[in-house]
Amino acid sequence: MEMEELTPHIQELQRVLGDKIDEDQIVEELNKYLNEYHVGIDAAKRGIIRKYGGSDTMGFVTGNTLTKKIGELTGSEQNVDITAKVVFVDTKDITVKGLPKKIVSGILGDETATASFTIWEPGAMVLAKGSVYNFRNCYCKTWNDKVQINIGSRGRIEVADGVRIDLPERQISASPTEVKIGNIKDGMGSVTVTGKVISVEAREITARGEQKTVYSGMLADDTGKIQFSAWSDFGIKEGESLCISNAYIRSWKGIPQLNMGDRCEVSRVDAITEIIDTSANKKTVDEITRIGGGLDITLEGLVVDVRQGSGIIRRCPQCNRSMLNGACTTHGMVEGVMDLRLKVVLDDGTGAIGAIINRADTEKLTGITLQAAQGLAAVKGESVVGREITGKILMKRIRVTGNVMSDDYGPSIIIKSAENVEIDLEAEANKLLEEVEAAI
Amino acid sequence: MNARETAWRVFATELNSSTLEIKATEEKAPSYIVSPLGAKINRVLIAGVLTEKEKMEFGDDVAWKGRIQDVSGSFFINIGKYQPEASAAIADIEAPSFVAAVGRVRAYTTDDQRVFVSVRPENIVNISETVRKEWVLETAKSTWRRLSNTKRVLSMGDATQEDLVKAGMTPTEAFGITYALDNYGQMPDSALYLRTIQAALRTLLPDRDVDLGFPEDLSNEPDEIDMPEENGNNGSNGAQIEELILNLLEELDTDGKGAPREELERRAEAEGISSIELEEVSNILMDKGLVYEPNLRYLKRI
Repeated sequence: MEMEELTPHIQELQRVLGDKIDEDQIVEELNKYLNEYHVGIDAAKRGIIRKYGGSDTMGFVTGNTLTKKIGELTGSEQNVDITAKVVFVDTKDITVKGLPKKIVSGILGDETATASFTIWEPGAMVLAKGSVYNFRNCYCKTWNDKVQINIGSRGRIEVADGVRIDLPERQISASPTEVKIGNIKDGMGSVTVTGKVISVEAREITARGEQKTVYSGMLADDTGKIQFSAWSDFGIKEGESLCISNAYIRSWKGIPQLNMGDRCEVSRVDAITEIIDTSANKKTVDEITRIGGGLDITLEGLVVDVRQGSGIIRRCPQCNRSMLNGACTTHGMVEGVMDLRLKVVLDDGTGAIGAIINRADTEKLTGITLQAAQGLAAVKGESVVGREITGKILMKRIRVTGNVMSDDYGPSIIIKSAENVEIDLEAEANKLLEEVEAAI
Repeated sequence: MNARETAWRVFATELNSSTLEIKATEEKAPSYIVSPLGAKINRVLIAGVLTEKEKMEFGDDVAWKGRIQDVSGSFFINIGKYQPEASAAIADIEAPSFVAAVGRVRAYTTDDQRVFVSVRPENIVNISETVRKEWVLETAKSTWRRLSNTKRVLSMGDATQEDLVKAGMTPTEAFGITYALDNYGQMPDSALYLRTIQAALRTLLPDRDVDLGFPEDLSNEPDEIDMPEENGNNGSNGAQIEELILNLLEELDTDGKGAPREELERRAEAEGISSIELEEVSNILMDKGLVYEPNLRYLKRI
């Protein structure tokens, strides 16, 4: 870049950094970024300001701040000003790198939408529920496809005097969709379902410092089953059939769960006789991936890959988690307990899913017992055991049942039971032949 | 979400007649080949008879190529040093024998614009004849589903992908079929796939006289596939290629920003180095610390 092209950038840097740096230094730095390391001009400026401006750099903060309404946020904003009303606010204690830390979080709203927010470095300012503030230099992220507003160390909060924000009435109960349990998906709002209570139990929990009783259990209809949590006592009993309206769906690791809050209404209905048989809750990998997760799902496919961490592993005797290089991530150096397991990828042609198979099923599928594996390991080493087990399971067709959940790396299933599958080749081939002959 | 790509069950006839690519536009994003029947393929699961395998040595590196024959065609496979499990496995596999392999697909375009597809197995294992038949059945079913889906779409007129999902296809299927029909510019050759299904059913039901009305014709596979490794002037010596690339980098670096990728690819191509090979060599050179990428479009000698 020629000198005259650089001039406006140099001036901008001088304006931002003031007397923290002189012109020669700026030129030298820019030269290093642009010509030695071939970094773009914007990244170079950002880098130089970071380097010389310290953390509290008003200049680059105001450089390209946007002002947006909550409804306009995309979740990728690096630097945005928001004026919003505090709908809900709470202080939380979290642990960061082993140290306790206080953060403030809650929900902000304006005329367009609401979004959750977190203040990572709360100062002395106490936010009041219902008041309007200017949140400056926020950054946004998305979590479960919802925008989150973050106020970090560069962020500032000011009382927005005289600004009035009227939030639209929340329309939660407007029109709950009536759904079958098998069709419930992550991200659904308010729903009405009819199902039979398979199980229910009361649990005492502490929420925001208060003792509370939660009634949770399992509800099923002819299409699927779902875990429910009732936050007040609806007198739910095992075995009865209920119509639950105005419940809402929250997901845990992709597994949708039915939550029964204050607005929820429960009515007894005629006994539902047809409920799902878990063995029939068979899905394709594509179907369960699109739902996000589920309980007691049966999948069938080929083992197309065996991942690291398969074969003989050692578990921490205290927490039972698998150890890495002779150490437990929580309890340090401990004498591990030998175990056998498989981490595989199952693929049915519609999708691929990670599967974790416990010792009993690993022994059943491969025909290699832990004892035999240990014996082999003593003679030939554990890597040979890994190869042996891989050879027994790779490209095998298996049917598994377990709970499916999803994270950034896609879906995975924790297997409760697994078996080899045999196909009646002749019958299936004849069926296909008839189908093709009928169509052509 | 970085979910793992599905391993498609396709016969060699369908994979080898695919000429459409969806190239990744972002770093780390997967590329796909779209078959005439709308399979949007990054990875495949293939099975059949390993009919030949050949070991190739480039200095210290070993690579393998081979062919796997299914019911009516052959898959071309390539295993390099980036597929260590498969590389170790194929060394012990005899040809001929029944094998199954899972791997990513790659398309090569020759100078005269013909497209060849090969598979880079991540895993390859010997299988029993029963498992091989199970694969034939599963792949026949999956091919038939794509073929009948394609026919349905053609009969539906101007159906959107949403319409197709409503009609019972998965979003992936709906996208693939729409993309294939829009971009191949011609109808898929249904006779080719029906003949393949006929061959599959004959394999599965040897006692029944399966006849869907197609003459047996196995000649539908491409002639010898021109793998880049076969090009005489580069297979011999990896060091020579590296030297050549380094020289090209210096020559093309006119403004200190490095050598523009496109230009480099063009020049390398002229020297008989394919873009795939160029990518591998530049990875090796980067590993060696001899070159770096100031950004994605440039490669620069250190």
